[in-house]
Amino acid sequence: MSRTRGYLILLLSALIPVMTAAAVGAAERSTCLSCHGERKILNKGTHLYIDPAKYESTTHERIGCVACHTGVTPRHPADGVRPSRAKCEECHAAVYAEYEKSSHSAYAGCTDCHKPHAVKPLLAVSGRDINIQCAKCHDNSATVKSHAKWLPQAALHIDALPCITCHTGSKETVITLYMAKRAGDSRLGGVALAGYEDLRSFIPPGKKIGRVIDSNGDGAVSLDELKAFNTSSQFKHISLLGTMMPEVVTHSFQILANRWDCTFCHASGPNAQQTSQLAFPEQGGTYSRMIVEKGAILDILYGTPDFYMTGFTRNKTLSIIGILIVASGLMVPILHGTLRFLTRSRRKER
Amino acid sequence: MTEQTPPEQVYLTPTPVRIWHWLNALGIVTLCVTGIQIRFPEYANIFGTYKAAIRLHDIAGITVSISFLLWIFYYLVVARNIAKVYVPTLADIKSGLFQQAFFYFFNYFLGKDNPHTATPDNKFNAIQKVTYFMTMFLLIPLVVVSGLLLMNIAPLRAWIIAIGGIKFLVDAHYLLACSFFAFLCVHVYMATLGHTPFAHFRQMWTGWEKMEHTG
Repeated sequence: MSRTRGYLILLLSALIPVMTAAAVGAAERSTCLSCHGERKILNKGTHLYIDPAKYESTTHERIGCVACHTGVTPRHPADGVRPSRAKCEECHAAVYAEYEKSSHSAYAGCTDCHKPHAVKPLLAVSGRDINIQCAKCHDNSATVKSHAKWLPQAALHIDALPCITCHTGSKETVITLYMAKRAGDSRLGGVALAGYEDLRSFIPPGKKIGRVIDSNGDGAVSLDELKAFNTSSQFKHISLLGTMMPEVVTHSFQILANRWDCTFCHASGPNAQQTSQLAFPEQGGTYSRMIVEKGAILDILYGTPDFYMTGFTRNKTLSIIGILIVASGLMVPILHGTLRFLTRSRRKER
Repeated sequence: MTEQTPPEQVYLTPTPVRIWHWLNALGIVTLCVTGIQIRFPEYANIFGTYKAAIRLHDIAGITVSISFLLWIFYYLVVARNIAKVYVPTLADIKSGLFQQAFFYFFNYFLGKDNPHTATPDNKFNAIQKVTYFMTMFLLIPLVVVSGLLLMNIAPLRAWIIAIGGIKFLVDAHYLLACSFFAFLCVHVYMATLGHTPFAHFRQMWTGWEKMEHTG
């Protein structure tokens, strides 16, 4: 009993500073945003403006402004002192050390890719969001051109995959499905990723966006739910596009040797690749993830009709049907040839 | 030229058609073999790397597509007898199919003569006509179109979604290719049923066919 009480006291003493920091953080955050969250501050410098909606979805928002800008005085900005800025490595030492060793670090710092007031966790961004960051330095057409020297269907790969799927230290990948909408009124006008606003009308008020497909609300997407979604005329403008995301995040930006081998992706190989998840767009441009029933992406028609990876997501039943068709073709020479051989003497007589 | 030719031989297949045929044969065999590696990479590694199989498959696919267009051009513009040679007549459907099937599956083994005699304007028997008609006007165009869509997924994604999705397209391409493979097995075997096992192969190489005695 006394031991339990001791644990409780320890737990409370650990939580108190966190809760206090959060409460203090919330108070000073609203103070800071009362100026820095207003667009009129753009007149004094674009770097001074913090988009409250984007900032709200960051992990940095939870620790508060002064956690990084420690030099802010109560008289700011009248005191004329420019507040200090924390260095990324003060908190992200391990990531920083890993990144410093990569060839990338000579060309870009942390904030060139991750804006501290808008940064989102990996799982909250789409593959296309990631590639938009990469394209700031790596021009898309030049990237396609350089990859086309060795990679078949380079444009398709660059379009469908986030760069970090190959340029990573993550050994495994996971299939992620995104909801896409027609880019225009025409059936043939191209597709773009669907946002929260595109899907909101499909769910009852107050329900999570995942209910667009997860109709029973169990927090997972089954094959039956995928079939219902893909065959419903209600969603004829919405489709599911698939991509491969790294299973873990690294900042090494290396290319693992097996990524040069097409069969790393294009073979029914690693079990991890049989797992897939569905990314639902949330308010504020982030994504929430929901696990998809194992094997659903291998369904012939209704699971994921717009996602196929050659040699990987092939359907077993269909493969067998194809082999039977070929076998039936082979049976003709085998059977006819056998009878032909057995009747050769009779034909010679004629 | 005709005067120097032995009377029992007939010039059945003009040079452009023979060039098309062998180009097509090479392309289709390449497509089938590379296709096996593309669909079943963990079981078949015929060309060293997956990339090599893909590249070869693409090249063979383009070759077959171009040769198909040349075939259409030749028969429509130069020979102008595509309907006569390839489109089955009502008589072919009503009685020719049965007669020819009866020969292949019964009379042939008894050593009886083929009911059909090939001439330049009536090269194919009823079974051949129906089979080649289906192959040339249905199977090849569908395989070619689905293959071209699959080679250009990124720019044509909206089109692909409109026709039922990429999985439908890939599955259709695969099953059509399997049908083609099956056709190929039967086609090559049937070609050995001439008066000698290599008579039809020789004809498709030289253009000249020795007339079979119809009795």
